[in-house]
Amino acid sequence: MTGYILKRLLSAIPVLFGITVIVFLIMALIPGDPATAILGSYATPENVEKLNRDLGLDKPLVAQYFIWLGNMLQGDFGQSFALNRPVIDEVLERFNATLILAGTAFVLCSVFGILAGVVSAAKQYGLADKGITFAVLLGISIPSFFLGMMMILIFGVNLRWLPVSGMYAIYGGGDLPDLISHLIMPALALAVVATGVVARLSRSAMLEVLRQDFIRTARAKGVSERGVIWRHALKAAMVSIIPVLGIQAGFVLSGAVYIEMVFQWPGVGRMLVDAILKRDILLVQGGVVFVAACYVLFNILVDVAQSLLDPRIKT
Amino acid sequence: MSAALKLTDLSKTFEVGRTLFGKPKGLVRAVQPVDLTVEQGETLGIVGESGCGKSTLARMLVGLLPVTTGSIEIEGAALDNADPAVFGKRIQYVFQDPISSLNPRKTIRQVMEAPLKNLHGMGKAERDARIREIFDTVSLREEFLERYPHEFSGGQAQRIGIARALAAEARILILDEPVSALDVSVQAQVLNLLARLKEELGLTYLFISHDLAVVEAVSDRVAVLYFGGVVEVGRAEDIFSRPKHPYTKLLADSAPVVGRALRAPEGVDTELPDPLNPPTGCAFRARCPNATERCGREVPKLVEMGEGHRAACFHPVG
Amino acid sequence: MSAFFRLLARNRLALWGGIVLVLVVFLALITPLLPLADPDVTDTANRFLPPFSEGAFLGTDHLGRDLLSRLMWGTRLSLAVGFSAAVAAATIGAAIGIVAGFYGGRTDNVIMRGVDMLMAFPYILLALAIVAALGPGLMNALIAVAAVNVPFFARNIRGITVGIAHKEFVDAARLAGMGNGRIILTEILPNVVPVIVIAMSTTIGWMILETAGLSFLGLGSQPPQADLGSMLGEARSALITNPHTSVVPGVMILVIVMSINLLGDGVRDALDPRLKSGALSRPMPATLVDRRSVPEAGKGDGILALQDLETQFHVKDRVYKAVGGVSLTVHPGECLGIIGESGSGKSVTALSVMSLVASPPGVITGGAVRYKGEDLIGAPYAKLRSLRGDRVAYIFQDPLATLHPLYKVGDQLVEAIGCHHDVSSAEARSRAIDLLKSVRIPNAESRVDSYPHEMSGGMRQRVGIAMALANEPDVIIADEPTTALDVTVQAQILALLDDLRKARGLAIVFITHDFGVVAQLCDRVAVMYAGRIVEEGPTGAVLATPAHPYTKRLIACVPELGEGRRELAAIPGLPPVVDKLPEGCAFAERCHKARNDCRRGNIPLEGPAEEARRVRCLYPENERMAEAVSS
Repeated sequence: MTGYILKRLLSAIPVLFGITVIVFLIMALIPGDPATAILGSYATPENVEKLNRDLGLDKPLVAQYFIWLGNMLQGDFGQSFALNRPVIDEVLERFNATLILAGTAFVLCSVFGILAGVVSAAKQYGLADKGITFAVLLGISIPSFFLGMMMILIFGVNLRWLPVSGMYAIYGGGDLPDLISHLIMPALALAVVATGVVARLSRSAMLEVLRQDFIRTARAKGVSERGVIWRHALKAAMVSIIPVLGIQAGFVLSGAVYIEMVFQWPGVGRMLVDAILKRDILLVQGGVVFVAACYVLFNILVDVAQSLLDPRIKT
Repeated sequence: MSAALKLTDLSKTFEVGRTLFGKPKGLVRAVQPVDLTVEQGETLGIVGESGCGKSTLARMLVGLLPVTTGSIEIEGAALDNADPAVFGKRIQYVFQDPISSLNPRKTIRQVMEAPLKNLHGMGKAERDARIREIFDTVSLREEFLERYPHEFSGGQAQRIGIARALAAEARILILDEPVSALDVSVQAQVLNLLARLKEELGLTYLFISHDLAVVEAVSDRVAVLYFGGVVEVGRAEDIFSRPKHPYTKLLADSAPVVGRALRAPEGVDTELPDPLNPPTGCAFRARCPNATERCGREVPKLVEMGEGHRAACFHPVG
Repeated sequence: MSAFFRLLARNRLALWGGIVLVLVVFLALITPLLPLADPDVTDTANRFLPPFSEGAFLGTDHLGRDLLSRLMWGTRLSLAVGFSAAVAAATIGAAIGIVAGFYGGRTDNVIMRGVDMLMAFPYILLALAIVAALGPGLMNALIAVAAVNVPFFARNIRGITVGIAHKEFVDAARLAGMGNGRIILTEILPNVVPVIVIAMSTTIGWMILETAGLSFLGLGSQPPQADLGSMLGEARSALITNPHTSVVPGVMILVIVMSINLLGDGVRDALDPRLKSGALSRPMPATLVDRRSVPEAGKGDGILALQDLETQFHVKDRVYKAVGGVSLTVHPGECLGIIGESGSGKSVTALSVMSLVASPPGVITGGAVRYKGEDLIGAPYAKLRSLRGDRVAYIFQDPLATLHPLYKVGDQLVEAIGCHHDVSSAEARSRAIDLLKSVRIPNAESRVDSYPHEMSGGMRQRVGIAMALANEPDVIIADEPTTALDVTVQAQILALLDDLRKARGLAIVFITHDFGVVAQLCDRVAVMYAGRIVEEGPTGAVLATPAHPYTKRLIACVPELGEGRRELAAIPGLPPVVDKLPEGCAFAERCHKARNDCRRGNIPLEGPAEEARRVRCLYPENERMAEAVSS
């Protein structure tokens, strides 16, 4: 097992390397002179030149890349111009908030998605199945930002049950109940789409498995129907559900960008959008590389979980 | 008369798995170096159990798999499939699964036209006439031409597969388990059709099967494969009745036969050796009642043991 | 093609989705022709007019622009962008996937590493990076959305292509003289297109959401141009005071995406060939029963007796009579063989005994199955379950598919015991090891912790047999247990089954297509054809002097070892399809002895009173049987 984890970690190195190359290349596409973009069109030529030298932009592209990479490996992601603080500090602080939001939504979508899928498959064509199928369809069709806005309108403004923005109350907040009350609406809004996708896939994976010969064997042995569904079918279906959970983690992380905008959640997504609109390139680069790297590591966890479940994967 | 097919030292090795650095983890020898000759107009049967390398051998013969070592000569010339439009006229293949060997989205006419168009460059009218002729030869109705593969039973689909192979006008056919997907009553129809075509068109067959009785019924000579190597070659009429290699004898004794009492022909319940970790010497020795210490040291070679009968064994039976 | 539309129309939800979508697309197309206000003209005096206001049906936004007009123009734009992005992503992705999947090897490796790299990003990061580089704007948002979706298509289509490229018909095309380019175009592409269509129809809604999302963030369409996302984004600041400005574009997105998804599901289902055969249904715990009457209990002393059992498959409006009235009896310690070709109904008969035929589409429509005199057809599920695996156990054909791939064989044996007996786990485990020993598995103590994929086919089938023996059943039903095995292994397994039967006094029902196997193992044999027994009797007698022409000619078809090269006997024609059975004898069509009366009425299964042989034929091959039938 340790060998397998080690192998997966080693194989992540080229992927991480590739990510930095892709991000770097995309950023190199930016038309015009970055220094001018940063300083604005009224900057003096001397200032522009000095900044270019500071950024290493007078060097060839390859050299620029390795300087950037080398700095990042030492934990130096550069300085944000708009915020005037180190990129890494800002990213870490914001990522923490995103992790709370996206992590909660991920747990919600995994648990409820799989549950709904299994129930739906077990009662195929029954009332529960039809209800779940329709709810799922609605869930995957509604834009999460619109859903969030409607939740604010109903539960925040009209019913006044929950706070409508931010992560903590401005006055007197900061404890766990305060965080939870702020978290409920954004986490739910974020989880809805992913839950729909997971439920849909779990249902079809379960139906696929339930037709397999080994299910008939289980029935021929006299296994109870509950055992057939939860012990035999779900375990086999998890083999195709787990990779989808990995992909859904990426979708939840992506959806968090919208939700953070709607609920004024101080996460990394909102930071990126602001940075793009302000053309704060180093902050965008650093944020994207950092989040993508975390996602790669998360997917290694998914692979490890898969190999624990399925002995046919060679460890 | 020159040989239709001549295999010299032909072998195939597959790489298994890959380490992080792209090196294969292990090598599996699917076919040990094989020397075999098929004469013009002959049917050579090849029998063996699953995993013995018989399909790998067949796919190498039609250029669908590259060879690892050795050479293949087809009617005196080395196998050369650089130009598919020429190669297809020299040798053809009939597949095991008749349905999946037909493209589900093409009509039978489109399937039949492909070799005529690509190999023989025939025009539309010429193709139609030729298809009619071939369908007549294999006793298929012309109305089938506009239908799709899923509308046919296994036996009909296999006739279509044979018709397609005939359309190429190659004189050598590799038949890879052509009847094992079919029921017995239909199997006999297809086998008889193959026998008639061979007679009428002067074809040469390499007939691969796991069914000893079928192979015996259609072949002139038979080669027995075990663990990727030929262990015995002989005339069809006496290879199973007077086997020399203990494995051939085991095969012949294992086939369920009406009127023979049920008993396991092997005292011990053994199976194939591990291909990733092949045994030294004779691959069969762990299951062999006659095995001696020599069998573990040396690999037996095929030696003459009677008229046209060769076996690779130090301690032949009978 | 027309079948596709018929299937699509049958799905009512998809039909509604289609209608709504067509309506929306139609309105979007004719928007420039409609008498609408200019969507971009601001009129701050009339800002935030509520819906149904004079001159502004849906009200106005924060700049006093007509919402209805902006909605229509915005819908037009969103649809166009979403659709273009989907087409672009599908085309590029499919091209990449086909090339990678078809050529394989190094090409595949390089391409797929690149795709993996792109998929290593949460997709929005990539989209944001692209927009950051190219600058905000609708065209750039389209490029970003298309680009992040290319890897999904590429990976999906590559998987399908790899499957198709290894099909035999591709090899056949190569041997028919086709080059790679031609094979891709004429053999691969037509089989991949349905998958591309499905993938596109299920992702197009997603793409519309994504572009709307980027516009919502202010990174897509730029003011004053309206698309649905930017309308929502602009309305957000007035959400609390004037919610209608948010609701209008939001609901529109929901309606569009939902109708696309409904239609997309319909398209997917209509293109999936399995749906036609009903194979997508989940099999129920026990076969459906729909009997009109229950036969009287017979007086036989068999431990298991089938009486006029009828099992059908109901697929759409067709009825396949897989088993058309089968009566059989098995006694303790006896081995009964059921022999027949594929489609003869032998396996369905076996599965019907414990109601294991998959339903839908299977339905038991008549007859009875009596275990120790008690009818099991239609018995309560709890009753069936208590007998399954305990008193009547099964051995199935392909041991790789019939064992659970993710549980150790020992655990599967333990479960088989635990289903019927309350035993401690240590005891169950030692029982499991004993069972493995009893089927002669070497090193049972270590093999008990193996997974099925770590064993050879023969070993797996031994596990299958051990599992059937777990609760010392009275009857074992073996459904072609050696068909997937090599002859040498088959011989070992058959010998094992025979020893077990003799040692334990088991009754075995043995389903096979092989006369050799029947001859060696079975005391009695029943020959099935087109869902009915055509002949039954002691194995030796039936094989030596077959009475039914089908039996006789089928035996003649089987080549036997040691007879040398020869012409084989064959039966012309094909067995009838069981949804269109002819009247009278089902074999008459292929029988050289058939006369007119063979094609009329019901031909009974009968034989001489003093013998245990019966035949369903008016003109049997065997004289004694002929006398009995004619009398």
